[in-house]
Amino acid sequence: MSHLLDRLNFLKSTRVGTFADGHGQTTIENRDWEDVYRNRWRHDKIVRSTHGVNCTGSCSWKIYVKSGIVTWETQQTDYPRTRAGMPNHEPRGCARGASYSWYLYSANRVKTPLIRARLLKSYRRMRKNNSPIEAWSKLQSDPILRADYTSTRGKGGFVRAEWDEAVEIIAAANAYTVKTYGPDRVVGFSPIPAMSMVSYASGARYLSLLGGACLSFYDWYCDLPPASPQTWGEQTDVPESADWYNAGFLLLWGSNVPQTRTPDAHFYTEARYRGAKSAVICPDYSEAAKFGDIWLAPKQGTDAAVAMAMGHVILREFHLDRQTPYFSDYARRYTDMPMLVRLDEQDGRLVPGRLLRAADFDDKLGQQNNPEWKTIALDREGGNPVAPNGSIGFRWGEKGKWNLEQKSGDKDVDLRMSLVLEENHDAVVGVDFPYFGGAASETFAKTDHPEILTRNVPVKKLKLADGEAYVATVFDLFCANYGLDRGLGGDFVASDYNQNTPFTPAWAEAITGVPRDRIITVAREFALNAEKTEGKSMVILGAGLNHWYHMDMAYRGIINMLAMCGCIGKSGGGWSHYVGQEKLRPQTGWIPLAFATDWARPPRHMNGTSFFYAHTDQWRYETLKPEEILSPTAPAGDWKDTSLIDLNIRAERMGWLPSVPAFKTNPMEVAKSAKAAGQDIPAYVASQLTSGQLEMSAEDPDAPENWPRNMFVWRSNILGSSGKGHEYFLKHLLGTDHGIQGKDLGEEGQRKPIEAKWHDDAPRGKLDLLVTIDFRMSTTAVYSDIVLPTASWYEKNDLNTSDMHPFIHPLQAAVDPAYDSKSDWEIFKFIAKKFSEMVPGYLGEETDIVALPTLHDSPSELAQDQVRDWKQGECELIPGKTAPAFATVTRDYPNLYKRFTSVGPLMEKVGNGGKGISWDTKTEIAQLKALNGTVAEAGISEGQVRIESDIDAAEVILMLAPETNGEVAVKAWDALGTHTGHDHTHLARAKEDEKIRFRDIAAQPRKIISSPTWSGIESDEVCYNAGYTNVHELIPWRTLSGRQQLYQDHLWMRAFGEGFVTWRPPVDLKTVTDEVNISARNNEPHLVLNFITPHQKWGIHSTYSDNLLMLTLNRGGPVLWISEVDAKKAGIRDNDWVEAYNANGALAARAVVSQRIKEGTLFMYHAQEKIVNTPGSQITGKRAGIHNSVTRVTLKPTHMIGGYAQLSYGFNYYGTVGSNRDEFVILRKMEKVDWMDEPVKTEAAE
Amino acid sequence: MEVRQKTWKALSALLCYPSAELKEAAPEIAAILAAEGVISPAAQVALKPLLRDLQKSDLYDLQERYVLLFDRSRTLSLNLFEHVHGESRDRGPAMVDLLETYRAGGFDLVSTELPDHLPILLEYLSTRPIADAREMLADAGHILAALAERLQRRDSCYAAVFAALVEFADVPEDAELVQDLLRVKEDDPEDLAALDSVWEEAEITFGPDPGAGCPVGREMLANMDPVINPPSAATAQN
Repeated sequence: MSHLLDRLNFLKSTRVGTFADGHGQTTIENRDWEDVYRNRWRHDKIVRSTHGVNCTGSCSWKIYVKSGIVTWETQQTDYPRTRAGMPNHEPRGCARGASYSWYLYSANRVKTPLIRARLLKSYRRMRKNNSPIEAWSKLQSDPILRADYTSTRGKGGFVRAEWDEAVEIIAAANAYTVKTYGPDRVVGFSPIPAMSMVSYASGARYLSLLGGACLSFYDWYCDLPPASPQTWGEQTDVPESADWYNAGFLLLWGSNVPQTRTPDAHFYTEARYRGAKSAVICPDYSEAAKFGDIWLAPKQGTDAAVAMAMGHVILREFHLDRQTPYFSDYARRYTDMPMLVRLDEQDGRLVPGRLLRAADFDDKLGQQNNPEWKTIALDREGGNPVAPNGSIGFRWGEKGKWNLEQKSGDKDVDLRMSLVLEENHDAVVGVDFPYFGGAASETFAKTDHPEILTRNVPVKKLKLADGEAYVATVFDLFCANYGLDRGLGGDFVASDYNQNTPFTPAWAEAITGVPRDRIITVAREFALNAEKTEGKSMVILGAGLNHWYHMDMAYRGIINMLAMCGCIGKSGGGWSHYVGQEKLRPQTGWIPLAFATDWARPPRHMNGTSFFYAHTDQWRYETLKPEEILSPTAPAGDWKDTSLIDLNIRAERMGWLPSVPAFKTNPMEVAKSAKAAGQDIPAYVASQLTSGQLEMSAEDPDAPENWPRNMFVWRSNILGSSGKGHEYFLKHLLGTDHGIQGKDLGEEGQRKPIEAKWHDDAPRGKLDLLVTIDFRMSTTAVYSDIVLPTASWYEKNDLNTSDMHPFIHPLQAAVDPAYDSKSDWEIFKFIAKKFSEMVPGYLGEETDIVALPTLHDSPSELAQDQVRDWKQGECELIPGKTAPAFATVTRDYPNLYKRFTSVGPLMEKVGNGGKGISWDTKTEIAQLKALNGTVAEAGISEGQVRIESDIDAAEVILMLAPETNGEVAVKAWDALGTHTGHDHTHLARAKEDEKIRFRDIAAQPRKIISSPTWSGIESDEVCYNAGYTNVHELIPWRTLSGRQQLYQDHLWMRAFGEGFVTWRPPVDLKTVTDEVNISARNNEPHLVLNFITPHQKWGIHSTYSDNLLMLTLNRGGPVLWISEVDAKKAGIRDNDWVEAYNANGALAARAVVSQRIKEGTLFMYHAQEKIVNTPGSQITGKRAGIHNSVTRVTLKPTHMIGGYAQLSYGFNYYGTVGSNRDEFVILRKMEKVDWMDEPVKTEAAE
Repeated sequence: MEVRQKTWKALSALLCYPSAELKEAAPEIAAILAAEGVISPAAQVALKPLLRDLQKSDLYDLQERYVLLFDRSRTLSLNLFEHVHGESRDRGPAMVDLLETYRAGGFDLVSTELPDHLPILLEYLSTRPIADAREMLADAGHILAALAERLQRRDSCYAAVFAALVEFADVPEDAELVQDLLRVKEDDPEDLAALDSVWEEAEITFGPDPGAGCPVGREMLANMDPVINPPSAATAQN
């Protein structure tokens, strides 16, 4: 084109100029088009926040706000840098988080308080002439009115409510319940405080002041690995993801890092670039499988067998045939391998018994303090028994010797690990070990070995207080248990990997299907790398292993490998269990706020699994009998007459597990009676329980006096996501329609429990009131009586930490809460206020009794070195010793709100602490007074630190926690030093002046400060890694021996065959019976498959799973994954509608037919919401269920143990867990898809 | 000065959460609609069942129905952008634009509802000249038509409100955009093949029109709308 006509030939514009010596030119032309781009990305402000979802990501995000509306978010990239030579943390984030702003304004958002219309109508009618509490009381005492709304739960029927009215009903219900049944009938479920700790604390603080109970979640979710408390006395402590980079060998085992740890996966990539080797072990060809240098695909649920064989190889090649000096030295110092085990004679045979204790000797080996709790080893010099420092007996009652020095008292010792040499043993004897691999349900392989394997072990004969006894080292028994031939003769030991003897690689091949040479290769390379690098071999493991009933075997098998190779406590090595976001880093600062220990102690806690097992009546359908899992070498006992619920009841009354509700009688009434009788409360309760006049609620969970009455659910979708035994929840706890196909023990004519009272008519609808607080209409909200709209993660201020990185960073209110919503903090504050205004005259200052179990990290962890049940007359009921302690707590109901909004006086009077140490907090409280201000209003809180807003609450946490206040960290390390006799303050001294405030983390995520709450350190030398301070500071593990406890000697551990790790096939839950299997009766094509529920890619549990964007990336609704081979057998094609069912219930979904899946398994990703595209079930005739509809929890007795060093209760630390992987279902193609989309009819459940 | 129409305010009220006040106002609403004559006599007749319902039915039943329809069913959301932008990134900017329109008209939003809440838009229209109202409603016409259709399928008397708006805005019935929103075919719900096609994933296409929103999310939402066999006239409740 010619420019002739564009060019001015005769004129020059004065409005055009040049600059930069004529190299630049200014022109005038229309630039409006640029506005399109400018406006598109224009924003008023950027606010830092994150997503408070149960995900370990904990990623910091930039939230863009325009005109008060969130427009989009992008990843923050300003995490503090890692040290030189390490990749950085950023960018963190994934597609799920990036879709959140779209969730914020979703039509699925709860906009106003909602309430069941039938409930509201009756309440308003009663309320006309009555006070709120009277109105509620009248409503509850009319069974027809009550059933009118409870039986229509989940069937629509909501109307909007005003905040004031909704909160009034809740407060009235709470007050009525406290007075009528007892405060422990009000419970709350909220998980994973780390993801938004102030929001958790809001409800927990309200409940704790009320005397209500917080239910634990980590164990209920089955994310708690009980093997961790068993081995280390630690709930869970793991390396941060950056430390993967330091590993030389990364073993991914049942963990799908790219899919479920998306923001951290880059460290795995970077580690491989650096040259780390990696093996992946998982049954399906997962997203992680392709990254392995080698992929092992064992049959699902047989991981323990793989681990046993790998342990066999490592022991053979690195401990026996050749002794790696680093490994032996580590094992001697940091594990219980040198400790002595007494061999018990049982029917003329020898079995491993208890660890030998100082108390077993005539002179108690000179140990006056806690000799029952001091383990014994032989000194290499002279071969004499010694009590090495660090065992748990040194932790309490004396100072300065609780450490891992090679000393006994002040005397140097060198412990002998093995007695195998001729001169070191007195005899070689046959010792019995249980073998469970000889029997397995249909689909799992079994071998022909007998149920007792007698193996030769070198022993020493010692003269003890009660006569002579054989003793052996843990190491020698350990080697025998692994089936290693040490030239001592005898059966069931192997010198050749090809021998089919438990637990050789050849044996494992038969069980797992993994070729033996691959097992050998991986084991050898893993150990070789650890030898060369002194422990930089790491195992990343997850829910693929931990959700099986016998998860402890897989976990302990792996932990043993790590311990044998000296990997725990070493940077780049160790045990990386990433299941659940358990790491609330500023824990000790948060506890006073959350559990109101600033006003009253102790708080009331309950282990979730046992609670739900009892109160959703899953125990009434129990198919697993203790005798099926009992060891053939079990010590004498009435094991075979009991049921699992019976064992849980015994655990509660012996003070092993908590009890909520505790007594059939309102604890406030019990306190009154005690006063009337002029007796001290613990003594009164003890005498009443002994005489049987007072009953423990545990013994009769179905009696109306023992029902939980009010339940709060916040930050959780328990019914849509984690409610194992979903249909049992619906039937018994809620009392509405359900899909249970099986019958209970009564209907089946089965043996009934001996401790639990049986009612032929099972209760329907135990809860008077279910309140859910959520920002979206989740499955749980749909089933609730009242739904309160909460602020989302861009609408409130809160704190967030994770185990995957060492930073603390905030959630912040980028915009005001949308619609009518309020933050959790404001909601519970509101309820507290209403409650306090309502109760004067009805409730005043009251005395409550909390049944407190024997707790870990307190002197009561030394309560029971022997198992004795007072009810069976085996001992006297001594509160706090042979039974729960009965603690008196004063509740001040009219002042509950004042207590809620201020820091109580106990912080200054008693101080603060955690994990067995305590320190003074006067300075911090004084500083908080200056920071937050004090309460001006007259009354009990006048002059106390104010906690008005969520930011005030966050400041309380930050000020009190050693992790965020260097001065406290130094005090805490100093306090620990008095126990260990070492000075540890150098770990925090450099940060003594650092005090992290909310505004600091709003500016940038901050790295936390090293604290004795955790076993790793924050430093510029190493990444955070668990066990670091045990190995490098010689702080004992909080276990019986003070070392990594590889032998579990508690009576119940031995009874159930888990003294040493072994292979246990999945349990048979018998949910696919002839009666249930109509497909077999109808001769229709069907499959019986193992039901597996891994974590998904399109949501974090149920969150995001109803998000349209995530749904479009998946298939848009519930799906089940099956293998091509199985699909062919049942005539199922990809995308067909299929139904999965068993005795527990039924679910419907589309089939994804994939080569990825192993034959025999059925995958259903965890937590696809019932509210999205779920059609009716042909079997139940009701709306089909969710993944948990075909599950039911089954308790494991070994998880009930308490009062025994590391096996003592702690909230979310130890207790029964909700495993769910052993389940089988029948799968068939659906003939007819019924969307059940007629207008809702809200008739009552039948 | 041009006459402003109270009709829009009346229709806005009809789409609000039923209250005792609204029950009382039902006759007044009918009177305004008749007096102003902005919407056709036929449309006014069609609105009678809703007005009668509001007047006569139990308030709890009315509220329950409202929550089920408009709070709980995302395919019937009164937030207009839910239907065009779904959960796409364009939703935020679109709401900002609408908010600015209100501000340009001299109003600040005081409600906790989002700017794209239909009763807010209608209330705003009641302050505008009729030509503006027609233009803005025509812009949203395809959404209103889709909602009218979905409510009709449920035999809900609320459909009449949307039908009136559609008629006024003169939205062509076969408009492509309406069909886009209403992708659900009127097939027998027991027919598996038809259901399969509803569930089929749409092919994702990128560009060249970046302003086109996120077609995939929108289609999925349309697909979620249940197909209902019309119940017989005698049992029609909603």
